[in-house]
Amino acid sequence: MQQLTIFMDIESSRSYIDEIYSSNPEKLLEALVTLKNSVIGSNRQKSSVIQQGIVPRLLQLMTDDGLDPNIRLEATITIGSLAKGTPENVASLVEQGTTIVLVELLKVVPTGTKLAEACLCALRSIFQHPPAPIGALPADMRLLGRLTVIAREGSLTARACVVRILSIWCGGPLEQEALCAAGACAAVAALLAARPDAAPPLARALPALDLLAAMCFENASVSQVALTTRHGDKTIPELLMALVSRDKPLPVAMGAARCLTFIHRAGALSADDNRVVFGALPCLARLCTKDMPEDIRATAAETLAYLAEVDTSLQRLAAISNHLMSSLADIVTCSSSAAKQGAFKCFASLGANDEDIRKKIIETHSIMVHVVNGMNNQEASVRLAAVRCLHSLSRSVQQLRTTFQDHEVWRPLMFLLNDSPGTELLTVGSSTLCNLLLEFSPAKEPMLDQGAVEMLCGLTRRPEAALRLNGIWALMNMAFQAEQKVKQRILCCLGTEQMFRLLGDGDTRVIMKTLGLLRNLLSTRHHIDAIMAEYSSQVMQVIGPNNSLNVLRAVIVVLEGSYPAEVKEQALCILGNIGDGEKAKDLIMDNEDVLRKLVDYLAHPESKLQEAALFVAGNLVWRGEAGAAARQQRLADLGVLRALKLLRARHDAHHLHDKYDNI
Amino acid sequence: MSFETPSSNGNTKPERKYYDRTKSDDLQISRTDMNMLIMNYLVTEGFKEAALKFQQEAGLQEPALCSSLDERIMIREAVQSGRIPEAISLVNALHPELLDNDRYLYFHLQQLQLLELIRAGRAEEALAFASATLAEAGANDRNALTELERSLALLAFPDPHTSPFADLLLPSHSQKIASELNAAILKMENQEYTNPKLCSLLRMILWSQSELDKHNVKYPKMTDLANATIEQPK
Repeated sequence: MQQLTIFMDIESSRSYIDEIYSSNPEKLLEALVTLKNSVIGSNRQKSSVIQQGIVPRLLQLMTDDGLDPNIRLEATITIGSLAKGTPENVASLVEQGTTIVLVELLKVVPTGTKLAEACLCALRSIFQHPPAPIGALPADMRLLGRLTVIAREGSLTARACVVRILSIWCGGPLEQEALCAAGACAAVAALLAARPDAAPPLARALPALDLLAAMCFENASVSQVALTTRHGDKTIPELLMALVSRDKPLPVAMGAARCLTFIHRAGALSADDNRVVFGALPCLARLCTKDMPEDIRATAAETLAYLAEVDTSLQRLAAISNHLMSSLADIVTCSSSAAKQGAFKCFASLGANDEDIRKKIIETHSIMVHVVNGMNNQEASVRLAAVRCLHSLSRSVQQLRTTFQDHEVWRPLMFLLNDSPGTELLTVGSSTLCNLLLEFSPAKEPMLDQGAVEMLCGLTRRPEAALRLNGIWALMNMAFQAEQKVKQRILCCLGTEQMFRLLGDGDTRVIMKTLGLLRNLLSTRHHIDAIMAEYSSQVMQVIGPNNSLNVLRAVIVVLEGSYPAEVKEQALCILGNIGDGEKAKDLIMDNEDVLRKLVDYLAHPESKLQEAALFVAGNLVWRGEAGAAARQQRLADLGVLRALKLLRARHDAHHLHDKYDNI
Repeated sequence: MSFETPSSNGNTKPERKYYDRTKSDDLQISRTDMNMLIMNYLVTEGFKEAALKFQQEAGLQEPALCSSLDERIMIREAVQSGRIPEAISLVNALHPELLDNDRYLYFHLQQLQLLELIRAGRAEEALAFASATLAEAGANDRNALTELERSLALLAFPDPHTSPFADLLLPSHSQKIASELNAAILKMENQEYTNPKLCSLLRMILWSQSELDKHNVKYPKMTDLANATIEQPK
């Protein structure tokens, strides 16, 4: 045995560092063991060793298969200990190619040896430091095959290491499919299986549950495989069902419920499946209760949020499970941001579809104060979760008028949205704005004062389609039955060019909302004339005198383009609105292009387009207005009358006859 | 079953049987059960020779000795006799990740080393050792810092053995650390129970009695665990 010094300190015993480079195997081994004992347990020693540049030598010793296996083993163990140091230590190891050396070694070293185990331990330590160098582990089927064999048959430590490494590595469909093909599901099942007399130990079950969750996340085909993979006489869901029970350690129950949740959300288990309804859901609701540790509650709330995110029946069931709402209201008050975040997300899911649940959330648990506080939290993730919660609750008409009003929720929201937020926050936040700006919402006025128009117009210029949609949608809501000055502010701020750009948007929904905005802008007779006049003059100042018919041009663009019928219908409705204005009528009458289009649409096979065209024609020739006869004549000249007669002859157009008669 | 590993022994079986029997109100306790409990105690605590002798005399099956029993005995001996560097080296050879994962335990071992130096009256060396190695743990962990301060306070007394912190120099302190280390090794080896089951049974008695006391129930109470003395209620 090597000489044991009291001071296992690099500085005070430098000689063995020199021996690391010795060609004498005995001296080398002795020096390695001393080095190992000096670094284990001390970050200071680890940093010192790394700074002295010993890592490349250790890597070289590891891979030299001409050397005594014990030398290679001790070198690998030392590297493994260095990987348990500070994040800087690990980063330095990765920089020096340690991960790649370890992976290469794993490809060749016989499985079941101590060297293989030490390699896996070192690799696991490196992977557990974010960001894990997952790129160093290729989706090489031979290697993955080897690793899954270890996961099934290796020593307990080796199995736990492999599964932990793979659970971190598995971050996308490519990895999921590769692992599934390599048989990782079966390995997981084996690790989850109970021993004859007891549950699987924690160290074995936890990494396996994490790996299973990572493999099934949003992956229908892998989840399907997991559904049918067996160990002994039990399938994976059956094994999971045994683990969600009350007598299992909390992290294991949590992990098992999470797996069932992911398998459900990937579409492999339906929302009314027993394993979801009686397995995952009650377990998660239980883990949210007051007597659980805070970290477990946080994860449980977040997982439950994902479980119930879309399905209304699960939302209703969760809302009445194990006093979940009270538990969540309590979690919101926990100090950790993970807990707050989880609770907000879970409230958001529960209230997504059901008005009664929303009411219960707001009224019985006075959650709005916490939401407002959450939006002011210093942690970005908490702010985002609070806005998600607000978004969900803002679907309630009643709440918009009462609680939302009382707490002036738009204040922190507008602040967040103006404070250079991330894309995700902006998306959820602007969706919330859409709801807050509905015509019946009392928040509309104060939000205008806070610069909502300018912010929303800015959103329509974003590269992300979802943001453009939310921006234009909110503007459309804002313009609905709004005062003229609001409409003018929108028009002025958005600008003609941007309006055209939006009408040519790649996303049909954006075009629809833009047309909707135009329609709302031109909604009452009084406003139409004012806006057409004012807007034209404004535009003239900016672009030139010949562009006064920009709105009309926009409509023509849509009518001529290859847009879906509902888009064209919107465009025709706008035309109808313009035709309702006294002076604005003339803009249409003077434009032969538009009139010809109108005739075409009267003969269109799509009946809703015919109806819309009829509405336009009706407005143009409405009796009792000055010049009606002249306009009638002009339309008749262009063949409108003939088109109308044809329309009348069609037996399937009875519902149009009323309108027809007016003309 | 193929996924079972040899180190997870069958220790848990007899206990389960014992529980089942009490449940069915059959209060007969078989000699085998008693023997298994004793064997479990000897194996867990690392009394290897006693375990082998006991197996012979009681006519038990091959005791389910953990693979690491020999090493654990050596480590315990090293710790209790103050050969700390040797103990650390042995632990690192058996489970290289253990002391890196449990820095508090590592601190406790180093603290023992420090106490050895203080016991030997090598004050300067003790201070140098503390600042070179123990200070790191003290800086990262408040508990460790307090314990370190307590240990170093021994130096302030002419005779540490009569100081208020003399408890640190008693054999019971190193025994405590040795047991802590032993339990950590067993846990590392995925043993379900790192404490002897006899311990759990005695704890169960104490817990039940305290529950009964809370509710002011009169019952025959075990007042002395070592002799299993039971006093009738007054």
